[in-house]
Amino acid sequence: MTFAFADPGVETPRLPSKPAFGLLDTPASSSPVVTPEPDPTDQHERASARPKRRFSPGKLAGHVILLALAVFSILPVYWMFAAALRAPGDVLDQSIIPWPISFETFADAWTRIGLGEMLLNTILLSAGIAAGQMLVALLAGYGFAMWRFPGRNVILMLFIGSWLIPFQVTMIPNYVLISDLGLLGTLWGVILPNLGAAFAVLLMRQHMESFPREIIDAAKVDGRSSWNTLWTVVVPNVTPAIAATTIMLFISAWNEYLWPALVLRTGAPVLQVGIRQFLSSEGNDWGALMAASAIAALPILLLYLFLQRYIVDAFVRSGLK
Amino acid sequence: MFTQVAAPEAAVGEPRKAHRRPPLAPYLYLLPAVALIGLWIYRPMVEGFGLSFYDWNLLPTSPKEWVGLENYADVVTNPEMIAAMRNTLVYIAAGFVAAVILPTIAVLLSRKVGTRSKSVYQGLIFVSFLIPPIAAGAVWRWMFAEDSGLLWTAANNAGLDLGNIFRDPSTAIWAIIAIMVWQMLGFGVLVVAAGVAGINPDYADAAATDGAGSWRTTMRITVPLLSPTLLFLGLMAILLSAQWSFPLIDLLTQGGPINSTTNIYYLLYQLGFQSFDAGLAAAAGVVFFLLFGLVAVGFVLLSEKLNFHDN
Repeated sequence: MTFAFADPGVETPRLPSKPAFGLLDTPASSSPVVTPEPDPTDQHERASARPKRRFSPGKLAGHVILLALAVFSILPVYWMFAAALRAPGDVLDQSIIPWPISFETFADAWTRIGLGEMLLNTILLSAGIAAGQMLVALLAGYGFAMWRFPGRNVILMLFIGSWLIPFQVTMIPNYVLISDLGLLGTLWGVILPNLGAAFAVLLMRQHMESFPREIIDAAKVDGRSSWNTLWTVVVPNVTPAIAATTIMLFISAWNEYLWPALVLRTGAPVLQVGIRQFLSSEGNDWGALMAASAIAALPILLLYLFLQRYIVDAFVRSGLK
Repeated sequence: MFTQVAAPEAAVGEPRKAHRRPPLAPYLYLLPAVALIGLWIYRPMVEGFGLSFYDWNLLPTSPKEWVGLENYADVVTNPEMIAAMRNTLVYIAAGFVAAVILPTIAVLLSRKVGTRSKSVYQGLIFVSFLIPPIAAGAVWRWMFAEDSGLLWTAANNAGLDLGNIFRDPSTAIWAIIAIMVWQMLGFGVLVVAAGVAGINPDYADAAATDGAGSWRTTMRITVPLLSPTLLFLGLMAILLSAQWSFPLIDLLTQGGPINSTTNIYYLLYQLGFQSFDAGLAAAAGVVFFLLFGLVAVGFVLLSEKLNFHDN
């Protein structure tokens, strides 16, 4: 009974449609699914599909608006790749299609900026952050989802609250600590402070809470330990959610800007920092700059090309951070 | 502030009344995550709060000097700080337009487009959101570059001289805002589209049967049902606009010319890592954290009210 204060809402019934971080989440995300939904946008539209009409002014206006936005979004990205594929002498050419295609600009930027090492380091960095965040979040989400225990709500609030603390408030003390640990200039200096991602914890907790209790209880009856249940029962069944979330964490880590720039000013070169330095020293060498930027964007775009559905769903589900 | 958020927590899992002692296992599972956010988020926040009462230049060898509330007095009187706050409000307004207003208009106006072509458009619209900030900064710097930039030449051909847009105090912030809108729009469109798709079409159909016109149905049914989504995006825009603009400011203007593009986070970064005034940076951090915290509380309360629309 002494725990009643520490764990206030114990007697209230659970409202499954409102996850604990409801505000930070979109309404469309509250359905308790284990696998990512195909495409959140077509849930109800099929139901409301009216008999097809060939043409209507409203439909045309819709096409025009969406097409304009699509062009606005794609054009700079296209232009970046087009410039990178032009021959060095043609970089400033404004023909829509880069012709003749040449990889010389890429090759030049690759060797001059040292993109190979940067690319490798950035992949290691992002994969390390994403995998670490996921492992930590998996354990914590499991702890939240499977037990009630004193202090649960307080700990949950610690996670939600940490989401609201801006990075710039914590960066100076963290920089000092990383420096004291001798990790400035190392990938570990970027990875370690990023491992505890409240947002990943809350997301995994949400996924695991929608996991059927009966299966957990059956595993318990079988005499499996909670650790064993996590890895042999829960994880194999929430793999799609884990994969989608990990991809999103990877993209977020890849697009991380300020902390790598602070920790890796010297030492292990990564794309964010290397291109930034090139931009300030040779900012008008547009061909090399576009080639380097294209390489920084390419891995994410390739992921998006093949896993679009999952990536969109994961981002829309969870907001960004 | 989080009592309402925590309330749905209640009866998760099986009641385990037989246990007298709380189980040890969940604490062990939570230990790594709690230790990490303790070490890398709450510890620095507390330390930063302490630091805000000192004058210190970040060098381990130099002593910290107690200055009391002097840093806080500086925060509210420093002209750079005031310029940064004003710009931050502009960025927030722009973020609001980019993430909430434009996406809502675009999604509502394009509801008649077929599902399949819509998902193709949306797939393309989302691309700009995924582009790394470094690449976005570089390509847009070129788009706006004098003589060789695509946008610059297009404007020039139309008789508009953009000049060196990032060097002109009256235009630089608008260029950064344009890029920010470019990055955020796709995210807003997808979230609003998901919100609209999540609304049960029966409501609108019922309204139509009752003779409501499509404009009326949109304003009276769709938009109110969408309000939790819009509130979520609005909170994002307020809390994160200053973050989204940060890399662009750093890559394109470094806060200048004459502080016309700086924002509070960029100023914090400059205070800490360029002027090495850790105390002032910490004090500013505390002030901004409290301001944004208040806004977040306001939004949580508002969303409580609006959520009753739902279901």
